Amino acid sequence: MNNSKIQMTVNGSARHVESDASRTLLSVLREDLGLTGAKDGCSQGDCGACVVLLDGRVVNSCMVLAPQVQGREVLTVEGLAGKDGLHPLQRAFGETWAFQCGFCTPGMLMSCHALLLSNEDPSREEIITAISGNFCRCTGYQAVVKAVQQAAAVIRDLSVEGMSS
Amino acid sequence: MSAPEYIAPETLADALSIKCKHGAQARVVAGGTDLILRMKDRVFTPTVLLDLQEVSLNSISRRAQEQCIGSYVTLSQILASRDISTFFPALAEACRPFAGPPIRNRGTVGGNIVNASPAADLVPPLMAYDARIVLASSSGERVLALEEFFTGPGRTVMEPDEILTEVRLPLMSSDSAAAFIKLGQRRSMAISIVNVGTRLSRAEDRTVSAARIVLGAVAPIPLRAVSAESVLIGQKLSAELINQAAQRASEEISPITDVRASADYRKRMTIVLVRRALMATWDELRGNLKMGTNE
Repeated sequence: MNNSKIQMTVNGSARHVESDASRTLLSVLREDLGLTGAKDGCSQGDCGACVVLLDGRVVNSCMVLAPQVQGREVLTVEGLAGKDGLHPLQRAFGETWAFQCGFCTPGMLMSCHALLLSNEDPSREEIITAISGNFCRCTGYQAVVKAVQQAAAVIRDLSVEGMSS
Repeated sequence: MSAPEYIAPETLADALSIKCKHGAQARVVAGGTDLILRMKDRVFTPTVLLDLQEVSLNSISRRAQEQCIGSYVTLSQILASRDISTFFPALAEACRPFAGPPIRNRGTVGGNIVNASPAADLVPPLMAYDARIVLASSSGERVLALEEFFTGPGRTVMEPDEILTEVRLPLMSSDSAAAFIKLGQRRSMAISIVNVGTRLSRAEDRTVSAARIVLGAVAPIPLRAVSAESVLIGQKLSAELINQAAQRASEEISPITDVRASADYRKRMTIVLVRRALMATWDELRGNLKMGTNE
């Protein structure tokens, strides 16, 4: 066996796994670490259901080999909520009915989260670009755009409050 | 079926000696956006995966009169580069609709080239800009025109012990302009049905001194429509001349019918896309020259 010992940070905690190089980050997350938020949709980098953040940038976790994550930082949908409860994006998705079946939601949330990390007030066009690698087959995309705009406004207000307190 | 050994050497010299030892059994893995699929499908069954992410092949820099792009530079890096968007806008244009953000964050310039897909989106603009590529091996390196690299779908002149390390673009003079246009089934996440990169350079008497028309997905390799280019050389640009060149380009290609489009559709769309790309290039050229005279 050609197992590599891999050390990575997942949702803020150091994790150690062993995997051979035929396995992907998605397999490690789901099978070894029990983090089943990221979904195995198309297994070929098309659908975006497996999107997570790798060192702060969106990737298809089905297209990253496990050993390539050595020493790097992963954020999955399980790491999005804080100790105060759901992330503003998650709340906004619920409030605007931005999902029905929910299969694309973890990946969709991570793409939107990455967008808001670098852009606190994205335009409609920027949101559409950010989710262009995430396929939704039942809800559609309009409610997602609305959710992101709503969450962005909430986050901007929070940061203003944070500064004044 | 045993899993491949994964090696991430810290120097290029180490990488090259591993490639020398294992040859074609060692596959370079970068973004993996194509390689992983082919491994899952058992098209590729490498015994060694060579990851050069620790070797510094991921920067965009200027050396002398050339823009140098490391083979591990991602499509997102190209889009973020001010140098590329300023001096090689057609290359940035090819990255913008490329798949979606997660793929652009992983997929690399080198991968798009080495993969040798006839539909590779970065190759037409790179060839239009007269790109050269650097192939390194433990016995040294060679530099060749990107145009000479491809021999067929998935096939290139690269030797089993070689690694693509860099792409070099000569800086263009201000009387040059380029464009890229892609036709896909939708704006994102689509493999090109036809893509085209064009460049025109003009002499002082405003005649065309150099022309490049490079077409993807309409031949076994990314194809320079040399005959169409010759229609333009030495002439003053006009809509009529551009129509002639577009027509000629459609006669040079040898498209196939596949899941994405029929050969006939590709042929017809080649005329449309070459015309649009050349018109855009011409517009750009006039804009560039106008700016030049104002300075």
